[in-house]
Amino acid sequence: MKKYTVTLGAALMATTAGVSAANAEDMHMIMCGDDTTPGIAVQADLISEWEAANPNYDVVVEFVPWGQCQEKSMTLAAAGNPAALAYLGSRTLKQLAQNDLIVPVNLTEEEAATYAAPILGTVTWNDQQWGLPRAFSSKALWYNRGLFEEAGLDPETPPTTWEELLTAAKAITENTEAAGYGLAAASFDNTMHQFMTVIYSNGGEVINSDGEIVFNSENNVQALQFVADIVEYAEPGPVAYDRGKLETLFAEQQIGMLIDGHWLTGRVAEDVNMDVVPFPAGPMGASSSLLITDSLAIFNGSGMEDAALSLAKMLTNPANQMSFDIAEGYTPIRTGPEVDALIAGDATWSPFIDVIPAGGPEPFVTDYVAMQDILNEAIQGVVLGEVDAAEAVEYAAEELESVK
Amino acid sequence: MSAHKKIDWFPYMLLVPASLITLIIVAWPLAETIRLSFTDASMSPETQYVGFENYQKMFSRRFPEVIARTFYWMMLSVTFKIVVGIIGAVLLNAAVPGRTLARLLIMPPWIVPIAVGVFIWGWMYNGQFGMISGLGQRLGLLAGPFEFLAYRNSAFMSTIITDVWIGTPLVTIYLLAAMQGVPRDLYEAAWTDGASRMYRFRRITLPLIMPSIATMSLLSAIWTFNSFDIIWILTEGGPRNATTTMIIDTYKTAISRFRYGEGSARAVMIVIFLALFSGFYFLMIQKLSKRGDIK
Repeated sequence: MKKYTVTLGAALMATTAGVSAANAEDMHMIMCGDDTTPGIAVQADLISEWEAANPNYDVVVEFVPWGQCQEKSMTLAAAGNPAALAYLGSRTLKQLAQNDLIVPVNLTEEEAATYAAPILGTVTWNDQQWGLPRAFSSKALWYNRGLFEEAGLDPETPPTTWEELLTAAKAITENTEAAGYGLAAASFDNTMHQFMTVIYSNGGEVINSDGEIVFNSENNVQALQFVADIVEYAEPGPVAYDRGKLETLFAEQQIGMLIDGHWLTGRVAEDVNMDVVPFPAGPMGASSSLLITDSLAIFNGSGMEDAALSLAKMLTNPANQMSFDIAEGYTPIRTGPEVDALIAGDATWSPFIDVIPAGGPEPFVTDYVAMQDILNEAIQGVVLGEVDAAEAVEYAAEELESVK
Repeated sequence: MSAHKKIDWFPYMLLVPASLITLIIVAWPLAETIRLSFTDASMSPETQYVGFENYQKMFSRRFPEVIARTFYWMMLSVTFKIVVGIIGAVLLNAAVPGRTLARLLIMPPWIVPIAVGVFIWGWMYNGQFGMISGLGQRLGLLAGPFEFLAYRNSAFMSTIITDVWIGTPLVTIYLLAAMQGVPRDLYEAAWTDGASRMYRFRRITLPLIMPSIATMSLLSAIWTFNSFDIIWILTEGGPRNATTTMIIDTYKTAISRFRYGEGSARAVMIVIFLALFSGFYFLMIQKLSKRGDIK
């Protein structure tokens, strides 16, 4: 009899567990990229932990290739069938927020204080935060020490101003087989990204904190003129090059200098003698960088906004986010002892982390693709010698009014 | 005697499934696109009717330039495809050893997935690592690496060359089939009279395959007009919009920028142009059928 009771009890428990699992609601989460990187394993463990604490939800993570990821999340939301949460470039947040497609993430003062102000700026619009920063990058100037020596330059004194940068690029172009500088000018987002670092290093802006287009400034004319001046010492045909192709050229030692993120270390063979410094200052500014974050955004209309927010906050809390950053090899979003240890172990991190307080975000506009096209067209115009810098800046500023 | 004629419904019933499928996958999206073109549909859940505003906006900006560029791109591409296709068909039709192998070898550009083929061309156009630039330098035609996709004119021509590479095999095979339909006795009679090869081609082959050339030109124009993947993979419409055709502009507006209303207006313009081509095509087919060129 006892045997039957135990069997019956076990069957009942199994049925209950099955019913409970069947009742768990699917929470759709879209991630960009693939599921093979080390950080994804860290994230998967954290999601399991969250699911254990929230048995009513079953998190279904969908990995979408980078090229279509953002478009997919936004199109699903616009069609009224949003994911619960998605990984997005923070530059899209304003557009999504304005269309009421995402909900604010309501950071407490304590939570907000854990982020550096410029990083928080990448997700803030109308005094509210619309995403939780998930991945972060800043930019600096990588240079090839071997090519510097070959060109008669001292690799211990890399350029600190645009004038010195132009001189170094000229020397490399004239005295070695390589081009002095890697200039991105393809119709691609990282063309604009590279240019934004130049703009910020000359005190320029695209849109100010009041949401006004301030692109038509002397700072930005000088920045675009710098682009025009460096064409002579860049790889032939910069309009055909985006950052990925330039990284290949840098790895092949065919260009002497390149604005890029810290990930370049993993893409260049160890025998390439390279170093990194903050991007040189323009005549009207100080050394700076574009700060880019990708965020976890919570979509409106999924019916599980609060639960999705709880998951996103758990994934991005200081300890969990740091584990994710370290595993992925990303620039850490927050400071802390781990960051000090990172710099102590690899000094090349220093220019990327030290620049954060001086950096600027991707411009927050309502139509970022249009903004990207407008800025890229201005860059391509001066690179191809079809317009002068002042003319290109003036035209772009007028066009930008329609996308702010 | 009853004048009442019984209608046989069976054939109509057989047409119902196909008609329904056509309605669902063609007519409904088309009607929806036309409806959207009169709205301000975007990412916002609220949509309002805006009359002809999207059309006015479209023509007040640089869309006319895009239309002109599309026609120029299409005409150059189709012309090259037809000329190269005729030459290829003549060569494949010649009684030479290895003809069957040559007929097989002409097909790969058409068989290889377009994206793969275009990526290969993208690398060939690269200045630093590309074959074309390397060959140009070795032959002394280029002073240094030349990026074919970096300049307006060279990018424009590069996209056309790739489109011609992909589209020519079909044209060649189609015209080859037409050439093989030309009665042999005409050639034999001309040869007996001492007509040269060129004369026979000009006075026999060309006039007799002209209906096929016209048909292929029109079909090729329709396919080329809508060519998206080649341009998108190679240049995304750049540099500075030099390769932005109507279909690229429509994609950028509707999908990349989420302006569904404005994008739909552009799509409607494409439909109108293609409807004109198709109408012209059917008229031509009708005319040729009456003349007896098509049976």
